Amino acid sequence: MEVLDNKMSHDIVKETVIRKGAEANLYYGHWFGKEVIFKYRIPKKYRIEDLDSIIRKTRTLNEARALIRVKDYGVNVPQVFEIDTPRSIIVMKYINGKKLKILLDDLDDKKKRDYFKIIGRFIAILHKNGHIHGDITTSNIIITEHEEIFLIDFGLHEYSDSIEDKSVDLHLLKRVLISSHGKDFELCFNAFLEGYQNEYGDAGANECKAIIKNISVIETRGRYVKKEERR
Amino acid sequence: MKFNKKICLGIESTAHTFGVGIVDFDGNVYSVVNDIYVPEKGGLHPVQVKEQHVNHFHRVIEKALLQAKLLIKDIDLIAFSQSPGLGPVLKIGALVSRMISQIMNIPIIGVNHCIAHIEIGRLMCNVEDPLTLYVSGGNTIVSAFESSRYQIFGETLDLPIGNMIDSFARDAGLSHPGGPKIEKLALTSKKYLSLPYVVKGMDLSFSGLYTAAKRLIESKDFGVKYNLNDVSNSVQETCFAMLTEVTERALAHTEKEEVLLTGGVAANKRLQEMIEYISQEHNTKFAAVPLKFAGDNGAMIGWTGILRYKMEGGHEISETIIKPKERMDQITIPWRS
Repeated sequence: MEVLDNKMSHDIVKETVIRKGAEANLYYGHWFGKEVIFKYRIPKKYRIEDLDSIIRKTRTLNEARALIRVKDYGVNVPQVFEIDTPRSIIVMKYINGKKLKILLDDLDDKKKRDYFKIIGRFIAILHKNGHIHGDITTSNIIITEHEEIFLIDFGLHEYSDSIEDKSVDLHLLKRVLISSHGKDFELCFNAFLEGYQNEYGDAGANECKAIIKNISVIETRGRYVKKEERR
Repeated sequence: MKFNKKICLGIESTAHTFGVGIVDFDGNVYSVVNDIYVPEKGGLHPVQVKEQHVNHFHRVIEKALLQAKLLIKDIDLIAFSQSPGLGPVLKIGALVSRMISQIMNIPIIGVNHCIAHIEIGRLMCNVEDPLTLYVSGGNTIVSAFESSRYQIFGETLDLPIGNMIDSFARDAGLSHPGGPKIEKLALTSKKYLSLPYVVKGMDLSFSGLYTAAKRLIESKDFGVKYNLNDVSNSVQETCFAMLTEVTERALAHTEKEEVLLTGGVAANKRLQEMIEYISQEHNTKFAAVPLKFAGDNGAMIGWTGILRYKMEGGHEISETIIKPKERMDQITIPWRS
């Protein structure tokens, strides 16, 4: 790989570029015999170096920390193996599966319901523990061959306990479901909310209710008027 | 002298500028005259701005006609800024336009100010379907045309960029408008002081940055460890990097082949440099609207009025009510569908 020399460790091999995003490049490779992803936040030459390195370092650290913490709560996320903050690289387990975005259309209704219940449960676990994913889309959910569900891309992750931030998180998913999976929206989102509410349980019922209720408040704000016509 | 082309008189009146532009139906601009309200101290007070526009509008129109060597009876269409903007100020533009329309018995058409910024950019910079970064004292929007509208992909969640820079400049004791002065100060500094960098997906927030910058100049270290040049440089570098990141993300998402930079803040060379850089990275054409047409002006209103008039005809007087809060993504664009 042209940009990734092997200074990091002795036994790592990066093989192919999987994705070139606006912020980071993803490489598939091997790390001590394990299949891994190298998430490399590339330097941006348009901004001055001081600022660039602050942004890349903090985002890399923030994402890696979030992945490690969230895993402890029993949410499926890629395991982090190594972090190189100066160069802004996270080495994490390669999840062999497909994006939910691609699979969704071909699933039967029962599967859709089952999957979204689990996704709802995962997000509720995050929220109960003060984690906001920040970018819940069907592109950031991976289903493996063994039908395990993984949440990926914690690049926009934040810590928050506010109802508002949690509602915004759910609102984002709702918007994505409407715009990309319109015909399955109701089925999926209802299943999602069911899983979400179940996880909150009786003890957290009040907070949960407030979060879900607040989604409609967000929708009525000026920014989101005619939301079905956005994007 | 009367041309054999149809002529439109555009009136811009959304904020500090009362602008008149005269444009023909083929997109030739004959005159652009602006009367800009400059506060003695503080920011724009809507009522004071309105007062000035009321007192000056007839002179601005006369001057524009004189420059174009035309008489008011040569005008075939009147266009005015109907949305969005300061209510009292919008009313003046609407009032003047209705008056001319009725006295001269010519059609009238209302125009959205933000769409006008994009349309004049498309006309002047020879771009067809750009991703637009529109940055001014009142707006900060990343927009592109999709499914018959100018969709908003990213925008500010609180302060517009120009407003933030001007407010900061005012706190630092610089007179209005502060933007160009901050740009000049920043040129002489290489120092960067860390400021909040807030990007949420494709949306931006500048209010925290503003407070932090204000604290820097109020701090006891100010003038000792760093000076105003350094703070200016840091403010510019931070907020422009935010704008550039968001624009790049929108560019990757929409896969447009042109990038257009417009609005008053588009005059800033550093911002131009940064947006041009990412445009090249994505192999897209970059264009910054020339300052005369990037800031608020009547020509953009006139030209956009012509585009809509050609498709839909004029508005009834009852349809010319001002809409201070209308969003550009609520409006369909028949001339591009």
